[in-house]
Amino acid sequence: MLLPDHQYLTVDSLSDCLKALRENGERAQVVAGGTDVIFNMRLKLFEPDVALSIRRVAELQQVEELPDGGLRIGAGCRLVDLVEHPLVNERYPAFADAVRAVASAHIRNIATLGGNICLKTRCWYTNNSEQWRQGVKECFKTDGELCHVIKSSSLCHAINNADTPLPLITLGAVLTLQNADQRREVPIAEFYRKDGMDHTVLAPDELVTHVTLPPVADRTVFLKIAARQGMDFSQAAIAARAAGTGADAPQVSLVLGSISMAPIQLDQPARTVEAQGLSDEAIEQAVAQVRAELGELTSLYARASYKSHLAKVLVRRALKALREM
Amino acid sequence: MAKHMISLTINGDTYDLVVSDTQTLLDVIRGDIGLKGTKRGCTTGACGVCTINDSKGRAILSCMTHVLEWDCESITTIEGLESNGELDAIQRAFIEYGAVQCGSCTPGVIMSAKALLNAHPQPTEEQINEAMSGVLCRCTGHVKVKEAIRNAHRIREASSHAATD
Amino acid sequence: MPPPTDPQAIPAQEAELSVVGKRQPRLDGPQKVTGRSVFTDDVVLPGMLAGKILRSQHAHARIVRLDTSRAEALPGVKAVITAAHAMGMAASSTESAGEASRRRTGRAIKLKTGESVFADQVVTYIGEEIAAVAALDEATAEKALELIEVEYEPLPATMDSRRAVKPGAPQVNPEFPGNVWSEDIDNYGKPDEAFESADFVVEGKFEAGVTHNLYAEFHVAVVDFSRPDKLKVWTPTQTSYLMQHSLAPAFGLSLNQVQIIHLNTGGAFSGRGAVRPHHYVAALLSRETRRPVKVFSAGDEEFLIGRALGKNRYKTRIAANKDGTLKAFDMSCEMDGGAVGNEVGYFGWMAGLCNAWVFDLEGNRFRRKVILTHQRPNFLGHGGMMVSSNCAVAQLVAKVAKSLDMDPMDLLLKNAVEPGHTGLSGEVFASCGLKECIETVRRESGWDDKYGKLPPFHGIGVAIGAMASGAKGAFKHDTSAAMVRVGEDGLVTVYTGIPDMGQGTHTTMAMIAAEVLGIDANDVQLIAGDTDLTPVDVGAFAQRGTITTGNATRNAAIDARNQLAKHAAEKLATEQHNLVFRNGRVIRADDPDQSLSFKEVAYATLHGMEGRCVMGRGFFNSPLPYGTMAWSFDAQVAEVKVDPETGQIQVLKVTVAHDLGRTINPLAVEGQIDGQVFSAMSQVIYEELVTDDGLFLNPSRLEYKMPRTYEMPEISHHMIETHDPYGPFGAKEVGEGPVVVTGAAIIAAVSDALGGTLIPEMPMTPIRVLKAIRGSELYENGGQKP
Repeated sequence: MLLPDHQYLTVDSLSDCLKALRENGERAQVVAGGTDVIFNMRLKLFEPDVALSIRRVAELQQVEELPDGGLRIGAGCRLVDLVEHPLVNERYPAFADAVRAVASAHIRNIATLGGNICLKTRCWYTNNSEQWRQGVKECFKTDGELCHVIKSSSLCHAINNADTPLPLITLGAVLTLQNADQRREVPIAEFYRKDGMDHTVLAPDELVTHVTLPPVADRTVFLKIAARQGMDFSQAAIAARAAGTGADAPQVSLVLGSISMAPIQLDQPARTVEAQGLSDEAIEQAVAQVRAELGELTSLYARASYKSHLAKVLVRRALKALREM
Repeated sequence: MAKHMISLTINGDTYDLVVSDTQTLLDVIRGDIGLKGTKRGCTTGACGVCTINDSKGRAILSCMTHVLEWDCESITTIEGLESNGELDAIQRAFIEYGAVQCGSCTPGVIMSAKALLNAHPQPTEEQINEAMSGVLCRCTGHVKVKEAIRNAHRIREASSHAATD
Repeated sequence: MPPPTDPQAIPAQEAELSVVGKRQPRLDGPQKVTGRSVFTDDVVLPGMLAGKILRSQHAHARIVRLDTSRAEALPGVKAVITAAHAMGMAASSTESAGEASRRRTGRAIKLKTGESVFADQVVTYIGEEIAAVAALDEATAEKALELIEVEYEPLPATMDSRRAVKPGAPQVNPEFPGNVWSEDIDNYGKPDEAFESADFVVEGKFEAGVTHNLYAEFHVAVVDFSRPDKLKVWTPTQTSYLMQHSLAPAFGLSLNQVQIIHLNTGGAFSGRGAVRPHHYVAALLSRETRRPVKVFSAGDEEFLIGRALGKNRYKTRIAANKDGTLKAFDMSCEMDGGAVGNEVGYFGWMAGLCNAWVFDLEGNRFRRKVILTHQRPNFLGHGGMMVSSNCAVAQLVAKVAKSLDMDPMDLLLKNAVEPGHTGLSGEVFASCGLKECIETVRRESGWDDKYGKLPPFHGIGVAIGAMASGAKGAFKHDTSAAMVRVGEDGLVTVYTGIPDMGQGTHTTMAMIAAEVLGIDANDVQLIAGDTDLTPVDVGAFAQRGTITTGNATRNAAIDARNQLAKHAAEKLATEQHNLVFRNGRVIRADDPDQSLSFKEVAYATLHGMEGRCVMGRGFFNSPLPYGTMAWSFDAQVAEVKVDPETGQIQVLKVTVAHDLGRTINPLAVEGQIDGQVFSAMSQVIYEELVTDDGLFLNPSRLEYKMPRTYEMPEISHHMIETHDPYGPFGAKEVGEGPVVVTGAAIIAAVSDALGGTLIPEMPMTPIRVLKAIRGSELYENGGQKP
């Protein structure tokens, strides 16, 4: 599983990067840490003509304290730097937990926040070697018109397995996307699309440059369930946030990940506990409302029934954890 | 295919190399330079046998990074842990505590352990589990590996006392 | 059979051991921790080419067209080969299994239907070899594979062993109509009478999923066949001997023309006991190009080359009396052999024997049916099939105890075999510490304070087992030979053919030689792993290393010692039998003040009038016609917690007591036990290849969920020493006895955590645990233990 032929282009500045992206368009693939990109390239899931390395772009690797008490994090920051960053841990503990939950220490030593936010969706009908894949009918990911996990679907149902976006969504984080001409600010809640193929709103010439976190005093929590602890993707994960104290929770946000093509914001369960507080009864009522919000689930990496079960378990655990904070 | 000149320092030796765009750090360490201690495993980041240390002493998967990123960088491989013919404390701990069996994962496991000890000379259980979950080992079940890591500082202290005596 | 009178016995020497029993760090440790140890993928030969294999993408299909011309035309490609290059070649990776089966049952199994090197016209599983390429480098070889054009006509496939035997099912191999490869019944004792006279019978079903052995080192072979009269193979293996015996006839060579160099082997776990197609492919490519060739399995290919467990389905019945006497077992197993049934068909019978060894039964029946499907050809996992078969048994034994309101420990003690016991198939346990093992784990695990007293979803379970130390049967002989050379400087070299896949055998051999010669084990070097240099050794499987190669090494060391003793006795003016070799000295037993240094004796033996060069020779072969002479015994207690919400199991602690006869190297023994506890836990809770119509969906180190650091429980080791009369210094095996017990103890503990619900399947993945909880009395009782 060697890397396919490509040109490896290293840029030193953001403007050079954006220029190169403009010039190469869809022929280019940005490499930040490379742990996801190189993995996919070895599997020949993508074979860009140009791999555009932004590892030396210093301006993407800073954590800035904002006057309002928030943070602006460069998308090129490595996960290990965020895990060890005092302000990140102090102000956004659930986010720090999610960063710590990504893969292994080895991966976190080079993987970046931007890379995890843009993590390619995954499917066990595609994420094997090219020779292996030749035994499988072409699907959306391999220039076909089929989804192996939901045969009747007109969409690719590959899983979005990223952990860090979940707390970022609950925290109201905003992504800065830039191309050579302009920049736009997109709330991360609006960044993902429910499509395993085209899973974000990022344009081919755009780069996620920064993540801006507003000040948050609310209680927050991140929980992850995986087949093994350490070096594994989530079978289901949740980030939750609540204003108020004790059982009083006037504002609640619940975001589930790793069970679908995009993170899922659970509206009805959140409204239920906002209205009724975090009593056991209200929590159970919220849990009962979870399944309806999940949409069609797939038996991809875990049975669909198990994923919907875990979704409920995680909602219950997260809400109870918030109550205890 | 275009070729590039880079300079890479491995274990204190600087190599001027002509490399291609598609070569990984692992390819160059094992192939161009011929240091075979760093092993080739899954090449997709999941098994850890290719682990080396960067200049900050962190564990890096050499299969997951283009060698062009390492121009003018300095790295340490398993062959570079010895100094003046003396094994590093973690190497001695692995021998003494029986943390080596088949040895196929051992270079990657030791370089991962070394990175952990660089940051935390007396790591907690949680720190050990966290730092070592990136490597795969069936022979030892990680039990004696953890024991060796827990005891490495004792071996280091014993040898530094011996040196000052 | 009475214990042997050992013609080589050296009682004065062995009365007090000075090397055996010490915590001896591995002799190859310094090489391994510095990256100096050479593994096959590290081998680079002048002119070496890269080999790559094109594999079938269909479970069952006819190859309508196979066009290699574009690949051949690619610059840098040196050879493209297909079935036409391997015509008439029997890739008999299973020669030994076939011979063994014939010897045991009196009838041959059909070897010509074994695996072929390349599929010829029809492919019968995904991953089957179709063609191969040798090129200047891997990138070119990969590109060449893409240029080979294969057109398939898909044929209906049969993927499940239950459906494969139904009328009208697609046929895998025309020589085995109905897809039944073999069907056997082994009857030991009087099972029918025992079931008839028993007070009651418990029964259950158990299934085990598809696995891979997942060693750290990937499958790889370097082959140099550039000379027609010498085939040199570098590869990780458990047995260079069997490899020689497979490769030599296939290529029309004599045995000595095949040289196997196994260097270091990066783990095996029962998975590297035979030649696999990639070895033949590399040899064919090398012969074709007259250059050395390396074939390295890339990524998911590893899971197609590997041969491990297929789906096994057990039905088990146990007959018992109300007083807790276990009377008989009746187990039947449907085994998915995959597309080739050879190996699994033979080795399956071990499971039926193994389960019964530990109990004093009246009868035991084991029925097995090997069914062909269009799946990967299957073989064994770590612990053979015995990890799963023991899971099936241990839960039912616990159920017997529960139904009698008896503590399982008491039930096990009541039925456990003792020294001198003659088993149902005639085996005699010369040494047996089973009861001591059971009592030890009962005490050390705190069983009496915990059993029946733990909160819901928290369970404790016990299992016991036995393992043969060596098992004659593959050939008429089961020989290991060794040579011990004593240098004039007093440093010793042991030559052995046994591979060390990590288990520490080489260090064990050095310790055995050192003990006999009274020197430090660090003064012994090993020459191993090259059939041109090292004497015959059948290999490192069937737990024959310590007992068989150990005895061979001991015999060779005694031979060397006798040669030295001649000179030393003259110098010390005494008889040879009055000498003790200990702590680097040769000492008069009757007057310990009179002694010579070992080095002095070694030097003087050569530098004397006789000029004797000290070279000891020894071999060992079981005197039995069949089977083993020594059994290890094992008892384990596992404690687990089940998360009733997520279905995840956490193993908290495993207490292991293993009767290994004698502990030669405690450091290595603990490591062996640790690894087996890990592996068994991994097999019963985590590891499973998920398949979709024969396609593995998770063939990677990421998705095949072998656990890592966090999941490892606390382990408490206890070595029970019973000094077996046949083992070197009384030692027996410790390389597979523990793994077949841990899994069963964990499953019994999970069953206990769920209120006694029988666990129907392994691995116990979370969703299966949730299903079991729903079916359990706990679920009915709202979490309260009944």
